[in-house]
Amino acid sequence: MRAAVGAGSRQHRQRQIIGWVLFTLVVVLIPFLIADTYSPTIFGNRYTFGLGNLSQAIGMMVAVLGLNIATGYSGQLSLGHSFFVGSGAYLTAVLVNEFHWSYLSTLGVVVPGLFLFGVLFGIPALRIQGLYLGLLTFAVAAVFPSIIRLDEVKDRTGGSNGLLIESDLEAPTWAPLSTATEWLHAIPGVGARVPDGLTGRQEEAVYKYFLLVIVALVCFWLVRNILVGRVGRALVAIRDNPLGAAANGVNLAAYKTLSFGISAAVGGVAGTMLAMHSGFVGPDEFGFSMAILLIVGLIVGGAGTLHGAVVGGLAIQFVPVWSSQTQTLPGTDVALEGPYGTAILGGLLIAIIFALPGGAAHGFRRIKARLMPVAPQPPGG
Amino acid sequence: MVVLASVLGVFDISLDKLSNGELWLAQFFRGLSDGATYASVALALVMIYKSTGFINFAQGSLALLGVYLAYIFSVEQGLPVALAVACAMVASAVVAAFIERVFIRPFPPDHVLPLVIVTLGLLLIIDSAVGIVWGFRTRSLPSMFPSGAPIEWGIAQLTWRTIGNLGTVFAVVGLLYLLLSRTKVGLAFRAVSSNLESARLVGIRVGPTLGFGWALAAAIGTLGGALVVPDLLLEPSIMLRVLIFSLAAAALGGLDSLVGAVIGGLVVGLARNLLVTFLDLSELALATAVAVILVVLLVRPTGLFGSTTVERV
Repeated sequence: MRAAVGAGSRQHRQRQIIGWVLFTLVVVLIPFLIADTYSPTIFGNRYTFGLGNLSQAIGMMVAVLGLNIATGYSGQLSLGHSFFVGSGAYLTAVLVNEFHWSYLSTLGVVVPGLFLFGVLFGIPALRIQGLYLGLLTFAVAAVFPSIIRLDEVKDRTGGSNGLLIESDLEAPTWAPLSTATEWLHAIPGVGARVPDGLTGRQEEAVYKYFLLVIVALVCFWLVRNILVGRVGRALVAIRDNPLGAAANGVNLAAYKTLSFGISAAVGGVAGTMLAMHSGFVGPDEFGFSMAILLIVGLIVGGAGTLHGAVVGGLAIQFVPVWSSQTQTLPGTDVALEGPYGTAILGGLLIAIIFALPGGAAHGFRRIKARLMPVAPQPPGG
Repeated sequence: MVVLASVLGVFDISLDKLSNGELWLAQFFRGLSDGATYASVALALVMIYKSTGFINFAQGSLALLGVYLAYIFSVEQGLPVALAVACAMVASAVVAAFIERVFIRPFPPDHVLPLVIVTLGLLLIIDSAVGIVWGFRTRSLPSMFPSGAPIEWGIAQLTWRTIGNLGTVFAVVGLLYLLLSRTKVGLAFRAVSSNLESARLVGIRVGPTLGFGWALAAAIGTLGGALVVPDLLLEPSIMLRVLIFSLAAAALGGLDSLVGAVIGGLVVGLARNLLVTFLDLSELALATAVAVILVVLLVRPTGLFGSTTVERV
């Protein structure tokens, strides 16, 4: 056991700064490393580490983050978060296609619109608790594709065929993406893997990635600021002991509706991000299977933690992708076909509930506490 | 009159349809038939809810598995359909008892949320396992009942299948009632669902009793699936819609009432068929289920026949 470092001490701060520098370096380096689709062959299966999957995973992280607010922090079981994500995605698609807005400017409508929608949804949800709310939201999630396919809105939403968004995100000329590859070459070791310059398509993918990273960072930062303060404490109090919270002057109704509002708004942003990433929205993407996936992400990552949303988003994106690329059982000739990824996610969900109820984030935290202990600052002084 | 006409205009209702008595009757019969199938899956949900206090979101998946087994027994092995369904009911009961023992019993029964999450995990696993084993090709399962209709009135037909579906559901409720009220295991089951702690104190083995409940529920769900599938085609996502209608039925009847599940199922089946036909809302069939759940939960959270729980503060 190493000696604990005091919280807020110089050493602790140094460690945090080193952590952030490493994080930034990884986030900046990764798109360049895999822009040139890295595809190794492991045990006879070809895997691709494309940037597209990572960008999609970033959207999923924000979606899980949104669900985390309503379910992880304030403890209202919502099995229908895909409804908000889908609404955000379709709202963006329609605004871009019909009013020729840019993707990012649609957030100006998506965020307040979905916030209001979430609040409206949260008001009836006040009367419905726990399992019953799960029941209702589960049904709501399954209805989203039918709403998109309604005859009345078919012309705008594209019905079953989905909607191709008529705007390409091209890297602006001022963004030094191609020149950045030259600088990155200077980094010893990994620098050699960075390609010389980027093709047009790669440049677009890298640009999209950075745009999504920035939107995601802003979302996480805002949500963190909301949750570390008064609102966050109130929500956690409601989750842990509603009666106690009410007795301490927390307005249950207001905070529960607020949590649904914020949760829906963040979900809407995730929808915009997913639309931005793929340039296409389809009704079944945002159906019931996404709702369950988000719950899987929430629980596997760790409900009620921000890091959990990151892990969860990565898990629900990459487990299905990689398992669909695993076409033969590693080391044998046994062919694998069918939705193994979903089965693995289901197993992972149950395994986490059994072994690590706090989710992966909780596990990491325990490991970190063992390796690099931090002693809490004594109060006062 | 003007108001009525404009309302009809908004919903695209034609008066021809509304005044067509045969259409009403035809949809009434279809509603009863659908309702019976929802009722049987709802009965399975209610069995689990009664004993353990949570909703088994994997109930539809267990029924799906059972129906595929029935398909294997009947179409591939050549057993008569009724016998194949009976075998599938037994097989799915065994699977459900195993699942209960391995995945459900390790958790404390009074803490509901992890259990619900586990059933969601089971839903993912079973649904994708069915997809892996049997693929996504659609198949058709023959009905247990003869085709044709003994009573016909224009386009309205009371088919043998409708009669059979209704008869099966009423028989299941009757048998369940006898089982719960007249047998020792039924008594144990009622004791566990009424008060878990006290049941344990008087020497009832709670675990096996709950396992029995799971097995019974899965068998009923499989039977319900075997009633549904002949109307549709068998493929891995088929039970999801049924599950949602059945959830609505169970919520309407009150989640812990067997009779309520049947009546809820029939009402949801009728509402769905009549609304879809007369309001031309074919895409919104599922939404009627959501509307039923929402209204019930807002207006009368215990459903029509559910028992009210008193929360002690």
